[in-house]
Amino acid sequence: MNPSDAGDPGYAQETKLPWRDWLLLPALSLATICLLVVSTDLIERRMFPSFDGSGEDCIVFNDPSTGARGIPNSVCREKIPEGEVAEYRFNSCGHRTDEQCGTKPPGTYRIVMIGTSYAMGMRVANEKTVAALLPLELSQTTGRNVEIYNEGMPWRPPHVIALHFNEVLAAKPDMILWILNPSDVWNPMISPHPPEAPQARRASWVPSPFHKAWQFVRAEALLHSVFLIRHFMYESQSLLVTSYLAEKPGVLLEQKYHSPEFMRTEPSAEWQDHLRDLDSDAANIEAQARVAGVPVVAVLLPERAPAAILSMDTWPAGFDPYKLDNELRTMIESHGGIYVDILPDFRNTPNAEQVFFPIEGHPNVAGHALIAKFLARKLTSGVVPALKADSQQGVAAEQSR
Amino acid sequence: MDNPSIAFVLFGLAAALVSNFSRSHVWRSMVLFGASIVFLGLLAHNPMALLPLIGFLLLGYGGLILIERGWSRAFVISLLAVMLAYIWLKKYTFLPEAVFLHAPYFTLGLSYIFFRVLHLLIEMRDDREKKHVGLGAYLLYTLNFTTLVSGPIQRYDEFARDQFAVEPIVLGIRTIGLQLERIIRGFFKVNVLALLLQAIQVDALAQLLHPYAPLWLKIYAAFKLAVVYPLFVYAIFSGYIDIVIALARLMRVRLPENFDRPFSATSFIDFWNRWHITLSTWLKTYVYNPLLVALMRRITSLALQPFLGVFCFFATFFLIGVWHGRTSEFVFYGVLQGAGMSVNKLWQLGLARALGRKGYKALASNPVYDALGRGMTFSWFAFTLFWFWADWKQIEKISMSIGVMRWLGVWLAIWLSATVVLAAWEWLRALLLSIETSEGPVLTSRYALVVYASALGLAAFVMTILLNQPAPDVVYKAF
Repeated sequence: MNPSDAGDPGYAQETKLPWRDWLLLPALSLATICLLVVSTDLIERRMFPSFDGSGEDCIVFNDPSTGARGIPNSVCREKIPEGEVAEYRFNSCGHRTDEQCGTKPPGTYRIVMIGTSYAMGMRVANEKTVAALLPLELSQTTGRNVEIYNEGMPWRPPHVIALHFNEVLAAKPDMILWILNPSDVWNPMISPHPPEAPQARRASWVPSPFHKAWQFVRAEALLHSVFLIRHFMYESQSLLVTSYLAEKPGVLLEQKYHSPEFMRTEPSAEWQDHLRDLDSDAANIEAQARVAGVPVVAVLLPERAPAAILSMDTWPAGFDPYKLDNELRTMIESHGGIYVDILPDFRNTPNAEQVFFPIEGHPNVAGHALIAKFLARKLTSGVVPALKADSQQGVAAEQSR
Repeated sequence: MDNPSIAFVLFGLAAALVSNFSRSHVWRSMVLFGASIVFLGLLAHNPMALLPLIGFLLLGYGGLILIERGWSRAFVISLLAVMLAYIWLKKYTFLPEAVFLHAPYFTLGLSYIFFRVLHLLIEMRDDREKKHVGLGAYLLYTLNFTTLVSGPIQRYDEFARDQFAVEPIVLGIRTIGLQLERIIRGFFKVNVLALLLQAIQVDALAQLLHPYAPLWLKIYAAFKLAVVYPLFVYAIFSGYIDIVIALARLMRVRLPENFDRPFSATSFIDFWNRWHITLSTWLKTYVYNPLLVALMRRITSLALQPFLGVFCFFATFFLIGVWHGRTSEFVFYGVLQGAGMSVNKLWQLGLARALGRKGYKALASNPVYDALGRGMTFSWFAFTLFWFWADWKQIEKISMSIGVMRWLGVWLAIWLSATVVLAAWEWLRALLLSIETSEGPVLTSRYALVVYASALGLAAFVMTILLNQPAPDVVYKAF
């Protein structure tokens, strides 16, 4: 018999509850809840330590004349809860690279990498980013001395890059590698701490003390506990995808940038407008590069949940994870650029979402290594003649691995 | 609302509250009827979609009236008519496509209504006193919102005993507390446990079928895939049952239990006494017993009689499989259930013959034998469930993913693991229940119930309210 039914009196008279239980039982319930919240909070802090300070402290975000830019010659350190300690070193031009500003060593094939946070290597130490790993792979495969000058910068979207493209050309690139991300299409140019969303303001009809208590529960009391639960929950491919696809577009600004809108087979008019804007930015960037005689190679990197969808190779009706990839290829190639497609490589990777931070969402150390490997393979396949794999060098490189 | 969501629970609690405004059975019946109609309306959206269901209910009631009036052929005709109507409305694939209705219509809960209607028809024929069942009582019994979606399948006399009692069953603070605890436990099972178990299953399937996954990962995924699904079905179905039993109790009606720790079963026959109890009891009452009696009358050979039970087990549990779905996968699922039951019966007969009754009893009470039996029961049930959730194409892909021989190895590993884990669980449970006060085991005291209801409630709150995770569908509502 089930424990709950053991005490069912049926038609018999029910025995009275002792008076002490009217106080004791609610107190016991409250104590259990408090104990659980406090213990998960402590476990989270112990398992996922972080410290104050961030890579963003070295970046100026709200300068409308330049867009987001690194503070020249600055160094910042951060440790997000899920990651390792990462140091951000910005050179005298405010770029996250160890290469000197404006000079290019002789005999070097220089790739200038542009894009936003994925390109900059957000949350990952300098030496473990794509910018550090890709030149090693390319140099080994091609036998040339290849270096990457990283101009990637968070919240520096395509229209800002196009506007300040002279900075890119000033680095004397032999090739420009443009790392694109679905959120770039929104062309966001805001601070990392967006203003209160309209949805949150709408909730103000709720009586103020209750609303405040609710905000406290959400934002403070359960913050660490919820983080802990989400971290382990979103290690599951299917839970991640389900909750990602269930998101309502436009609820919060940041959620919109990372929403599945770009995968919708019937996207919103707003998205289509942004895609048209990107097309004109791409035309602008590629026209300036063409004049300078520098090839532009663009690539789309997936975010965490779309990477899981690619890896599972199944998605619900109304979505297509390759849609933006195909649109970007057409867009880039129509302006004379080169487009490399690495989404099929993510499809061929089991549990591809594991190379991203579960909550924070950027590629982790393994993610940067994987992306560097995928990019090296594509770039040396002949799409960029100057980087075509030297067969003997390539074999030697393969054997040395 | 067709899932045990917050909306469903709040709806049920509101109905229970209003129902308790008066102790009069007329009032309670009016509230239950009103709540059931509102519930149907919320699920169906379009009233026209309910027409086939209304037709089915009227067909059943017509048969009931004719049997009650003593028309000699009414029973067979109405039984056949109800069964054919059910098969037609459920669109069983052996019928030609052209005969089906093509406009969308409402079939949620039809299988459970079907069992209730058949039960009434059979009981009306057998009951010499022929107690009249009015249309209101009939609709209240068949459309009761607490049992509509996925059961449990309650007998009419038990329903009527509580629902129409002049003096309703007691509902004091202790009972209310116990029911609230059960609702939280059920809600946790559905919205947290089942959600996580389903995620493990879906992830395991993706890993198993991934063309580039390493072999060790595929074998591990195969193990998880087979092990997790029975736990998922148990969590979601028993969680739903916990909620509806508690809601009904708050409305002063006692619903029958549907689960009794099924993974503690030491044999497959024992398992079906503990899993979906109301379904297996229904089939034993109305299929197994009459079939066995009929065969024993015809086949009088003493040597053959023990094997008649084996055959009847097969037939009954084959029907359980067929009832679950309209496709050949469910027919095969029925074959596997029937085979499990009949082989289990044969094994018992063989052992009893070989060891003698005393020897067999001694063996059956041996803890190692029990543990191995528990592991075997779990692993057999886990493998039969592949035909429950996958189609033939998927099953082919799944079996080819690591090859049949490796699957046999996985099955062996599951048997042994289940043997050890379930034995450890039984030992731990017995140990914890042995800690007692004068009022009984500490583990089932109201203090312990409050502690874990608070813990489970907090987990469910975080998952559903803060993380907004949608719960998986109740598997059994599709049948």
